[in-house]
Amino acid sequence: MMTDTLTETPTLVQPKAPLLRWRVITDHAVLIVGALFMLMPLVLVFTTASLPDAEIVKHGLQLRIGDQLDDNFTKAMFETSGFTDANSGLVMLKNSMILGVGFAVGKIVLGMMAAYALVYFRLRFALFAFWVIFTTLLLPLEVRILPSYEVIQGLGLMNTYTGLIVPLIASATATFFFRQFFRSVPEELVEAARIDGAGPLKFFIDILVPLSRTMIAAMFIIMFVYGWNQYLWPTMITTDEGMFTLVRGIKQITQVLEGTNLPEYGRANLLAIIAVLPPVAIVVFFQSWFVKGLTDSDK
Amino acid sequence: MKRAGFANPWLPILLLVPQLTIIAVFFYWPAAHAIQSSFFLQDPFGFGSTFVGLENYADLLGNKEYLKVAGFTVVFTLLVTFLSLGLALLLAVKADNVIRGAKTYRTLLMWVYAVAPPVAGFIGILMFDQSTGPLTAFFQSLGWDFKLGVVYSDTAFAMVTVSVWKQVPVNFIFFLSGLHSIPVAVREAALIDNRSASGRFWDVTFPLLAPTGFFLLITNITYALFDTFGVIDTLVKGEPGNNPMNLVYKVYVDGFRGNDLGGSSAQSVILMVLVLALTVFQFRLVERRIHYT
Amino acid sequence: MKINTVLATAAVLGLTAPAFAETEITWWHAMGGALGETVEQIATDFNASQDDYKITPIFKGTYEEALTAGIAAFRAGEQPNILQVFDAGAATVIGAKGAAVPVQDLLANNDVAFDINDYIAGVRYFYADKDGKMIGMPFNSSTPIMYFNEDALAKAGVTAPVTWEEFQTVTAPALKEAGYIPMSQSHLPWIFTENFFSRHNLEFANNNNGYDAPATEIKVNHPAIKAHFQALVDWKEAGLFEWYGTGWGDNATPFENGEVAMWLGSSGSFGGLQAKVDFPFSAAKLPYWEAVTAEPKQTFIGGAALFAMAGKSAEENKATAEFFKFLTSADTQYFWHQKTGYVPITEAAYELAQKDGHYDRFPAAEVGIQQLSLPAGEFTKGYRMGFYVQIRDVMNREYGRILTGETTVEDGFANIEAEANKLLARFAKTQG
Repeated sequence: MMTDTLTETPTLVQPKAPLLRWRVITDHAVLIVGALFMLMPLVLVFTTASLPDAEIVKHGLQLRIGDQLDDNFTKAMFETSGFTDANSGLVMLKNSMILGVGFAVGKIVLGMMAAYALVYFRLRFALFAFWVIFTTLLLPLEVRILPSYEVIQGLGLMNTYTGLIVPLIASATATFFFRQFFRSVPEELVEAARIDGAGPLKFFIDILVPLSRTMIAAMFIIMFVYGWNQYLWPTMITTDEGMFTLVRGIKQITQVLEGTNLPEYGRANLLAIIAVLPPVAIVVFFQSWFVKGLTDSDK
Repeated sequence: MKRAGFANPWLPILLLVPQLTIIAVFFYWPAAHAIQSSFFLQDPFGFGSTFVGLENYADLLGNKEYLKVAGFTVVFTLLVTFLSLGLALLLAVKADNVIRGAKTYRTLLMWVYAVAPPVAGFIGILMFDQSTGPLTAFFQSLGWDFKLGVVYSDTAFAMVTVSVWKQVPVNFIFFLSGLHSIPVAVREAALIDNRSASGRFWDVTFPLLAPTGFFLLITNITYALFDTFGVIDTLVKGEPGNNPMNLVYKVYVDGFRGNDLGGSSAQSVILMVLVLALTVFQFRLVERRIHYT
Repeated sequence: MKINTVLATAAVLGLTAPAFAETEITWWHAMGGALGETVEQIATDFNASQDDYKITPIFKGTYEEALTAGIAAFRAGEQPNILQVFDAGAATVIGAKGAAVPVQDLLANNDVAFDINDYIAGVRYFYADKDGKMIGMPFNSSTPIMYFNEDALAKAGVTAPVTWEEFQTVTAPALKEAGYIPMSQSHLPWIFTENFFSRHNLEFANNNNGYDAPATEIKVNHPAIKAHFQALVDWKEAGLFEWYGTGWGDNATPFENGEVAMWLGSSGSFGGLQAKVDFPFSAAKLPYWEAVTAEPKQTFIGGAALFAMAGKSAEENKATAEFFKFLTSADTQYFWHQKTGYVPITEAAYELAQKDGHYDRFPAAEVGIQQLSLPAGEFTKGYRMGFYVQIRDVMNREYGRILTGETTVEDGFANIEAEANKLLARFAKTQG
C-alpha cells in the first residue's frame, strides 16, 4: 500500500552512504530515547505492583519483580473495597467500559449528525448554530459542575449511566473534528451524488459514513479514552458503589488521611495498570486504521 | 469554501436538534446559572445570599494572587502545548523515517495515551517523590536539589513534565497519520528539489501538516487549560499551598473545596470569556490561513 | 399435594414473619483505604446489632469532596442522613442554620440519653454552638502530638523536649550532633497555628473565636506566633528543623525513614506508624513556649464530625440517633481507637481502654487524649470562621513562602491577616 512505497522513498535518491547510516542511527536513537521516556514510568509502576506495600512506602518505585503480583492482582480485581461488596475491580472495569463506550458512541453519533448539517446544508441560522455549538468546545464540565449536578438531580438521573454519560457529551469536540473532516472531503462527491439523484440521507449513509470510517475509528479511540478517564464527574454523580469506575476506585485506595494507615500502593499500582490496559488494547488494535487514515484526504 | 449543499429545509434542523438540546440543558443552562451566581455571595446550602453586583469580579481582579495564577496559566499552557507538540512532531518524523522497527516504535509510543490524568499524576508523584522518587534521585545526582511541593518552580517543572508526557502520544499519532497522508508524488518532488532533510521538512512537510497542526493546537490548548486538572490536583496532593496552579484548578479550589460559590462563579465566567475570545481568535485568524485540499 | 404444602408453608411464614420494614439511612464519609474499611466494619456491626435500621456508608472522596457533594445534594434535596465534615469545614455547616439537625436535639427527640460531660474535655465544644449545644457528633478526633524516635534521642542523650526553649537550646543541637534532622511537622495551619493559639491560650479570632457571633477579625498577626515562625526559619537555616512542603506524607516519610528524629503529627497517625517504622518510637505532648505562657492548655481536636442532615423523616432521624448511640458506646469507640489511633471521644471509652491495658501496651496511644484532657482556657474550646478552608489555603501559601525565603515573617503574616479578614467579610455577606 501507500505506506510501503513511502518507506522505500529514501532509496530513490541516493545520498552518500555514511551520511544515510548516521541519519538512521540518530533516528533510532531519538525514537529509543522517546520510547524510554514514555514507557519507563509505566514499567516501574508495573514492577512495583509486585512488591509488598510496606516496601513500596519505604523505597518507592523499584525496577524489580517481587512475589506479590498474584496477591495484588487478586485484590485489585476481585476483592471489594466498598461496603456493599459491589465494587470489585471487575465491576469497576465494567462501569468504566460502559462509560467509555457510551460516551464515545453518543458523541460520534451526535457529532456526525450536527457536523453534517453544518457543512452540507444551507441554513439560515447556520452561523448562529455554529457558534452555539462551538462555544462549548473549550469549557469543560469542571467549571460548571455544581449547576450541572443540580440539573442531573432534577432530572432524577443520579446513579444512572445516562446521568454519567450525557452531560459529558455536551461539548462539541467530535462535532468540530467531523466538521473539519467533512470539509476536506472533495466537493465533487456531493455533486456526483446529486447528479445521481441521491438524497441527503442516502448520501450521508451510503457515502459519507463509509468514507469517514477511519475518522470514526480515531474519534472512537479519543472519546473512549476521554470517557474512560473521567474522575470528578463520576465522583459527584455516583453514590452507589456498584456504579464506581476504575479511576475513581484508584483514588479511593491511594487517598491517605493523616497517615493513619498503610496506603495500598501495590493494589493501586495494579489497578492503575488495569485501568490503562483496555484503552491501550483499543488503541493498539485500531492503530493501523488510526494511523493510516486519520487525515487521509487523498482518497 | 462554500459547499455545494443540499437545500432540504427540515433535515438539518432534525440533525442538529439532539446536539443542541444536550448543549442547552447541560451547557447553557449551567453556564447561565454560573453567570447569575457570580453577582451574589451566597451560603453554600442556599439559605442566605446577598446581591453584590460586580464585587466578586473586582475582588478577583484586584487580587495579586489571582493574577499570579492567571500568569502561571499562560506560561503553563504555552509550555505544555509547544513541548508536547514539538516532541510529538520530532518523534513522528523519526518514526516516519525509519524502516526497521517502525511499527514497534509506533506501538510503544502510543501506550501512555491511555493513562488517565489522575493516574498520570499518581505516577508523577511516585517518580518525583521527595525521598524515594527515581527522578528526584537523578536530578540530585546532577546537583539539582529538586523538591516537589517545596520549591514553586520545581513543582511547576513536574507539572509540565507529567502533562507533556501524557499528551505526547495523541499528538504523535495525529502527526504520524498526517505524515502518511502526504501524497507520494509530493514527497518525491521534494526529494528532488530540496536536498537537505531539514529544508525539505520546513518547506514541504510542515506546511502540509498544517491542518493536522490546527486540530492539535486547539486540542492541546484545551488539554493544557482543562484536562491537566487531574494532573495538578494529584501532584499537589489536594493541598494547593504555595504550589503553582492554573485557573481551572483555582475555580475548583475556591468553589469546590472552599464553597465560595459567588467567587468561583465569577472565575468561571472570566474563564468563559477568555476561552470564547480564544475560540473566536482561532477560528477567525488561524483557520483562514490554512488551506484545505 | 406437595405444591399445596409449599404454599401453605409460605403462607404461614408470611403470616408469622414480623411485619417490619427496615429503615435505611446513608452515611457519606471521606475515609479512604484501611480507614474506610474500619468505617464499613462499624456500619456492618451496627446493622448486625439490631433489625430495625440499616446504615450504608458511602465513600465520597476527600474531606472537601465529601462536603461539597453533601452541599450539592442538600440543595437538590438528596442529602444523606449523615455527612462527615472535617474541622475546617464545620463552620460552613454550623453557620448554615437549618442544614443540620443539632445532634443534641436529635438524640433528645429520640429518647437517647445525652450528657455533654460524658465526652472528654477536648471534644465537647469544638462542634458546639455558642450556647454549648453540640451540633455535630465528633467522630474521628485527633490532636497534634510529637512523635520521637527513641533510638535517636538515646543516641543524642536527650529526652523529648517539653518546651520550645528546651528544644532550641538542648534537644535540637544534640540531635543534629548525632546526625539527625531534629524535627519536621505535617500541617502548619493545624499544628503551628490553630493549636499554637489553643496551647498558649491566645485569642484566635474576635467574638470569642467566632463562637458568640461570626468572627470578623482573625488575630493571627500576633507577636508570639510570629516569633515562633521566625524561630522556625532560623532553625531551618541552622539545620534544626526541616520543611518538606504542604503535603502531609512528605513531612512524615523522613521520620519514618529514620532521618528525622522528631515529628509533629496527628494522634491518629499512631496506627500507621506502627505498621511502617522499624525503630522504637513514642510520643509526647506538643511543646510550648515558656516565654509565652507558664500554664500550657489543652489543644483543639482535628479530624471530622458527623452531622445529621436536616430534611429527613422522623423514622430516619430515629435511625440516625440509634446509630449515634451505637457509635458513641464505649465498645465501638474503643474498637475505633484501637484500629485507627483516633482518640476515643467519651470518658467511658477512655476508661475501657485504660482498664484493658491498651496504654500499657502502647503508651504513645494515650498522649493525644491526655493532651486533650489538659486544663481548658478561655480560648481553647475551638474556633469558628467562615471560608476557613480558604483561610487555611492562604496560610499554607504564605507559610510556604516564609519557609522558602520568598517572603519575610512580617509580610507573610500581614498578608494572611489581610486576606483572611477579607474572606471573613465575604462570608458574612453569604449569610445575608
